[in-house]
Amino acid sequence: MKVRNAQGQTIEVLPLNLGPSHPATHGTLRAFVALDGETILASACEMGYLHRGFEKMIEQGTYQQVLPFTDRLNYCSAMMNNIGFCKAVERMFGVELPERCVTVRVVLCELSRIIDHLVCVCANLVDLGALTNFWYFFNVREEVYRIWEKLCGARLTNTVTRIGGMYRDAYPGFAEDVRAVLPSLERAVGEVRGLVERNRIFVDRTKGICPVSAELAVSYGWTGPCLRASGVDRDLRKDEPYYGYESYDFDTVIGTAGDTYDRIMIRVYEIVESVRIVRQALDRLKPGPINTSDARLHLPARDQVYHDMEALINNFKVVYEGVRAPAGECYDATEAANGELGFWIVSDGGTNPYRIKVRPPCFTQWAAFSEMVEGSMIADAMGTLGSINIIAGELDR
Amino acid sequence: MSIVAAKPLEAGVPAERILAQLAERFAAVRDGRDRWGLTVTVARERLRDCLQWLRDEPSLHCDTLLDVAGVDYLAFPGHRGPRFAVVYLLKSTRFRHRLAVKVEVDEDDCALPSVHDLWKIADWAERETWDQYGIVFRGHPNLKRLLNHHEFSGHPLRKDYPCQKRQKLSVNDPMVDQLEARLRQRGYEVVERGEVSAGDPLTFREKSP
Repeated sequence: MKVRNAQGQTIEVLPLNLGPSHPATHGTLRAFVALDGETILASACEMGYLHRGFEKMIEQGTYQQVLPFTDRLNYCSAMMNNIGFCKAVERMFGVELPERCVTVRVVLCELSRIIDHLVCVCANLVDLGALTNFWYFFNVREEVYRIWEKLCGARLTNTVTRIGGMYRDAYPGFAEDVRAVLPSLERAVGEVRGLVERNRIFVDRTKGICPVSAELAVSYGWTGPCLRASGVDRDLRKDEPYYGYESYDFDTVIGTAGDTYDRIMIRVYEIVESVRIVRQALDRLKPGPINTSDARLHLPARDQVYHDMEALINNFKVVYEGVRAPAGECYDATEAANGELGFWIVSDGGTNPYRIKVRPPCFTQWAAFSEMVEGSMIADAMGTLGSINIIAGELDR
Repeated sequence: MSIVAAKPLEAGVPAERILAQLAERFAAVRDGRDRWGLTVTVARERLRDCLQWLRDEPSLHCDTLLDVAGVDYLAFPGHRGPRFAVVYLLKSTRFRHRLAVKVEVDEDDCALPSVHDLWKIADWAERETWDQYGIVFRGHPNLKRLLNHHEFSGHPLRKDYPCQKRQKLSVNDPMVDQLEARLRQRGYEVVERGEVSAGDPLTFREKSP
């Protein structure tokens, strides 16, 4: 392919596919770029390689049956998607959750955010050639996964939340296990910071690379760490607090340049802030009921089912029919690891959701990718791709 | 980069006041199914003006288009009126208010004006809605499928699209047209197209009867 630039020079251009199947794309994503040497002149992105028809499938089942599907949105932090979806449905019902449930959810949310950031940062550093960090982060990530195993038996896609509560209460010793992981997390963050934060190679590869201005980020609808890297301090946990986030003492991390360096380091620092939240939440964890007593949502206790006619009917209704969200349309969002994870739910009053539109945070980031990498080098494009943390599961749905 | 105490959002404008202003300017009405805060319905002719005003009005400053969601009311019990609706979810980076702007779309005239020039994300969000519902966005520069394969026929999220239906899809989208359009946008003139292979068509092994 040959193009002529504004100065009238003719340039021989090499069209090249980055992806869809390439280790550095972390999933099946395709960017089709026009290269002049190693410089990207123009880029066009494609998505949909992992499109499963999520929104069509979930219209076929009940609200409870949506939960395993939400695990497969952002599979690096499956619990947060569960919790986000349950929160949206609970908002339609207008139920209040017991305090223990809310606190357990906060702990799980923040631990999920931490392991999501761990994967994002260490995989990104591998793309830049820094392999050691991967082991530091994956070792401690494994410790969190051991807690997941003990909590619900599953590691990656742990459908642990239920509408109106949890699958079961946390096991005895849960708080101690979580508390034991936190120092290793802080140590790992310290080690990785020591390796990369002022590392000449890392700084040269990331500082000033593919910067995104605040205006551009907002125009692309960015949320979460990538938006904060561009200097816009928006975080749903602070702005529209849910689950009592306003009562936790933590800070927001904000970038100045919006470049790859900021997008990576923001996640590293956010891990430390999340550890702070987890510590405070564990201090508040008191025994109590884990599930709402709202009969529309939750199964009655076993001994009641055996001795009480109404409880038996209730049990049958919830198991055989599922929950019936009140008719209407509702949007609700949580601050997931990647940004605002929203659900637009249309209910016709039946047991199946009529329509659920997922608002995946990384959709907006992948949409901006072309504009971000045009004019930069091909190796920088790969580093940038890692820093916007595209998770194909939630991108393609 | 810095760790700071976040600057809190300014108090938002109450839903009733936003509604009153939108009703006066764009004859918007509160949607009957609204259960979350504020969903307003506007006529298709006023949609672009309404969204642009919401974005630019300093007291509202709805500068973030979160999502564009289509809905097909074909199977909705007791639904009267146009078959489709498209919902634009907006929020602000300055104020603590959110709202959804809904516009109804007739099946016979399944089209809306595009807002890709107001928000960059609208480009892809509209492509997704076209792909899933077959709603045309007039003025969109590149209204191609986004989630589904380019050979896919039909619009899967329509309620009359059978869930189990399967389709054979073979050749990748070469995307040369998109790349060339992008090169032109960036000030390059394409003088020689060259050869770009999309790869060989996938061969399917037919099931033996």
